[in-house]
Amino acid sequence: MNFLFEGFFQAFSLLLSGNPETFSAIWATVKVSSYSIGSSLLIGIPLGFCLGYFDFRGKKPLRTIVDTLMALPTVFIGLLVYAFLTHRGPLGDFGLLFTLPGIAIGQTILALPLVIGLSATAVESMDQKLRIMIISMGANRMQLFLSSLWEARHGILAGAIAAYGRVMTEVGISMMVGGNIKWHTRTITTAIALETNKGQFGMGVALGLVLLAIALCVNVLVSFLRRRD
Amino acid sequence: MFWSHSCVEGIDKLDTPIFEIRSLNHSYAGKTVLEIEHLKVQPASIIGLIGPNGSGKSSLLRLLGLIERPSRGEILFNGRRVEPFSDEARFLITLLPQEPFLLKRSVLNNVLYGLKLRRNGKEVLPRANEALARVGLPAKDFSQRPWYALSGGEAQRVALAARLALKPKVLLLDEPTASVDAASAQLIKEASLQARKELGTTLIVASHDWQWLNEICDEILHLFKGKIFGTGRETIIFGPWQDFGTGKWGKFLSDRQQLLVTAPPDQEAAAVIDVLPDSENRPTIAGEEIVLSGTVSRLSLERKTGQLFATILAGDTPFTVGLTFQQGKEHTILPGKTVSIRYRLDQIKWI
Repeated sequence: MNFLFEGFFQAFSLLLSGNPETFSAIWATVKVSSYSIGSSLLIGIPLGFCLGYFDFRGKKPLRTIVDTLMALPTVFIGLLVYAFLTHRGPLGDFGLLFTLPGIAIGQTILALPLVIGLSATAVESMDQKLRIMIISMGANRMQLFLSSLWEARHGILAGAIAAYGRVMTEVGISMMVGGNIKWHTRTITTAIALETNKGQFGMGVALGLVLLAIALCVNVLVSFLRRRD
Repeated sequence: MFWSHSCVEGIDKLDTPIFEIRSLNHSYAGKTVLEIEHLKVQPASIIGLIGPNGSGKSSLLRLLGLIERPSRGEILFNGRRVEPFSDEARFLITLLPQEPFLLKRSVLNNVLYGLKLRRNGKEVLPRANEALARVGLPAKDFSQRPWYALSGGEAQRVALAARLALKPKVLLLDEPTASVDAASAQLIKEASLQARKELGTTLIVASHDWQWLNEICDEILHLFKGKIFGTGRETIIFGPWQDFGTGKWGKFLSDRQQLLVTAPPDQEAAAVIDVLPDSENRPTIAGEEIVLSGTVSRLSLERKTGQLFATILAGDTPFTVGLTFQQGKEHTILPGKTVSIRYRLDQIKWI
């Protein structure tokens, strides 16, 4: 058990002393997860809204597909994105393999079904009376859309947090598409995997604590926003 | 069917109707819920909608409120064809649905919502506060309350205040007092009437509160199975009907009196019966007339015409009888009194 306690001790000294290697991984994670959550919310919320709000043919099968994709394994996404981005692949010319934007593409694919599915659920569970209320107050179509979105914000936010958690903690995509290159594409999770293999528990624990701290910050921020309503 | 509505005083009879419905047919999942050939509503009038649940009152209000588009036919507002989101109408018509629904915001922000949609900047706050005051919710106590900290009656009043603040040309009220306490009901009634008095707002009110509608309405439309068929003062008896043999149909009332009717078109048809008070010196018409006895349960006054309406319970079935003041006085029609009523078989209409 001793090595674990030593690991904790070492973790704090790494964090407090501002160890550049540790902070490089933290920074890479924050950057890449911000890209991917940003783009998945930008694409996913409007799509999820449409999926939940409108009735159209094939809605149910589409819902089932989205729900299934929520369980998409990260290594499988890693494989697909790798295949597209490698220089023999169709998007090879962009040179995105082993870069942070490359990881972000994979993570966006990972987060999108969650954002779409959970936004659609939030919008579906909205009261029909809300629509009547908004139209009867004189809203036009755009205002109806924006007000409905705003009323569904709690559910959509829950989806966003779930997606952010998934993106922050995944290893498969970061490892396969990013290549775990030190100072460059090494993220918190790939670093933990590597350091643990090397028997370096200290850095692993330190990075694990940082992940937890980020999760805590996000949740505190969200509950603050909710309370303000 | 053509229903032309008289105007309230001071309004030119040649005014363009505020609403005109032409050849309207509305259905959900292939089932027709509303069928109105022609309907005109004059500006600044008060129209009551009466009818059992599922008769199409709410559907009519949703169509007039431009929430839904009719399956067929057209709705004209101020002489122009309108549909959901029409710019000519969306700021002028507002609907208060039966169950209050508030946005997940404070009371004040709920009332400000519609005003903000209209982007009329500075004057919004005083208007919101005034509207809240009208429904008996002083702004200083209520404006910062969140949506969840309100009673049912208060929520309905906030919803009404949000509509009154818009100073609408048309206010559609769907059973506004059905699920609220008596004090809230009174405030809602007063505030809606005030809007019509001060702003000339046209009110269209669906309600089961027959007495209230009688008091305030210029016209009452009776809806049944999606069709307008009368003034709301008819006695309607619902099936199922029994075949008593030898061509007689009818049903037993709860006090075992026999209510006889002509042969119904189907088991579930409803009979519209024209009931008269039974005076001793009435002319006798052989064989055609049915007399029932019942107890007067309610007397109400139609303020506009001065006519009295008595509700008479035969068993548990209510019959409505129109009387002049003189008749009421002569026969001392008072609640609690047992009276006879009569109707002619050949005047029964089936719907």
